[in-house]
Amino acid sequence: MAEMWISMGPQHPMTHGLWTLKVKVDGETVVDTEPDLGYIHRGVEKICESRDFTQITTYCDRLCYASANTWSHAYIYAAEDLLEVEVPERAEYIRLVAVELQRIASHLMWLGAYGPDIGNLSVMVWCLREREMMMDLLQELGGSRMHYNFPRVGGVKRDLPHGFAQRARAKLKLFLNRIQEYEALFDESTVFLVRSQGVGYAKPEEMVNHGVTGPNLRAGGVNYDIRWAHPYSVYSELDWAPPVERSSIKGADCYDRYRVRVEEMRVSASLVLQALDKMPGGADTYHEPEDPMILAKAPTRAPEGTTGAHHFEDSRGESMFYIAGGGEGRGKQPYRVSIRSPMFITIPYAAKCMIGYKVADIPAIMGSFDPCIGETDR
Amino acid sequence: MGNTVSPDSQKSAAQAVADAASAIEGVEAEVVERSSGTNPRNVVVVSASPESWRFLAENLYSEHAVDHCSMVTGIHWPDAEAERRWEVVYHLLRTGVRDPPIENGLVRPMMANPTKLRGASVPIELEIHVHIPDTTTPSVDSVQDIWVGADWNEKETWDLVGIDFDGHQGMRRVLQPHETPQGFHPLQKQHHLRYHGFEEMYDDAQGFMRKPADVGKIK
Repeated sequence: MAEMWISMGPQHPMTHGLWTLKVKVDGETVVDTEPDLGYIHRGVEKICESRDFTQITTYCDRLCYASANTWSHAYIYAAEDLLEVEVPERAEYIRLVAVELQRIASHLMWLGAYGPDIGNLSVMVWCLREREMMMDLLQELGGSRMHYNFPRVGGVKRDLPHGFAQRARAKLKLFLNRIQEYEALFDESTVFLVRSQGVGYAKPEEMVNHGVTGPNLRAGGVNYDIRWAHPYSVYSELDWAPPVERSSIKGADCYDRYRVRVEEMRVSASLVLQALDKMPGGADTYHEPEDPMILAKAPTRAPEGTTGAHHFEDSRGESMFYIAGGGEGRGKQPYRVSIRSPMFITIPYAAKCMIGYKVADIPAIMGSFDPCIGETDR
Repeated sequence: MGNTVSPDSQKSAAQAVADAASAIEGVEAEVVERSSGTNPRNVVVVSASPESWRFLAENLYSEHAVDHCSMVTGIHWPDAEAERRWEVVYHLLRTGVRDPPIENGLVRPMMANPTKLRGASVPIELEIHVHIPDTTTPSVDSVQDIWVGADWNEKETWDLVGIDFDGHQGMRRVLQPHETPQGFHPLQKQHHLRYHGFEEMYDDAQGFMRKPADVGKIK
């Protein structure tokens, strides 16, 4: 049959954002793909060059609208490397709580969006119901619903509010029970199993070479995680292990990528509960924002020629910031900020994974990699 | 508890790679201790000449199992001395990820124990600086065929900073529109960020009728 190119996007339910996937088809079979990104390129890296180190967190929040906290924290760790700031331990625990709650919220958003992708509409409403609980908790920390602007160079904006630990424990207990409901909705749905199992195989070694990390990699049966390989925050103090999926011999399929994210929500919930228990100074005591346990004094100027970099385990893989600081008369502002977006690297790989499958499998495969276009286009 | 890679094992692993890399001509490597938050980390910081970069990359990949290219950053330094007007920074990781073994037709997940990793299986991070002398057409050798993950990073670096990669297959605009004028790379320092006036936002949203000098509006 004659081959032809068709264009999926920029407006297409498969894209989860705004981009185009050009697909070369032979009948119903995909023979070649070409992603075309950049529809919402905002030039964040350029904007950051004319902002103070402290002002940049708000831009990082807006890199990904589903996972704002992980992005602003990734930036803050790189900025602290640059400005050589020692962070108080209590602030590190609070950051861990914020990041792991955000990871749960992000995975719930993904799960909710993945259901409609492959014909399971009701799961969306169920997932957003629990995401609301996580967003309420994050709102208590940051004051806003989506873009929290929570971390600061040297600590966090403010302490856990009165009663936060109690509410978080109760909500996470409820949430851990309700995860079973999603598992029932998905694992007992024949439509879901038929559409997600056996499509979109990906092998770990190939994924690492292609730059794919995070849950997508762990679905292939390896436990690589930036949180233990390049430890930051207080993960070394807590009892946890990244969830790993036993994939098939052909590699991880869409079903494995779904399983590993569900398990990761359990691990994140357990991390939050442990952090609340072990927090120095007690999770139930409120400290004023000026308290050195919450926010350490940090310089605002960087000497010339300094650099800062940090690898961070984002909800979607390894995110990273590299900052070249200082320069003539511009010690308060970075000279160059460079952002590694996990999805920018993963989308071309996901597009390669589709080759050989049917056109109807494209939403199932693309959705399972959890694309987020805000961070991809920057 | 303590289920993360210890700084000590990371330091010795990083030192081994740094020593081996320093032996290559045109390459200087050292282990720098950095901190983020409360954790110390040991980074192999390498400075390589553009001529030695390709050899260094092949060496790291084949001899030291550096299997993951995190990021490629291009920087334009118009005010620096002539030998370092352009810089490309590579961030590489050694992840130690292998395809999990298959036993009796079933995959046995590969669970690395972070506290027991030794020698060449310890995850390390590398930061490689390649300085390019003053030129209007900066370029370095592409590593697209070594780490496929560098493919789109290199495309982006050319698109935004204008540093070309010799041997890169399929170079094209990725973040900017396809019809962007040739030679326009916004992260070069001659392009300044500029505030729009209130009315301009609506009359000339794309900025095509921009005045040559925007006195007082350049930040």
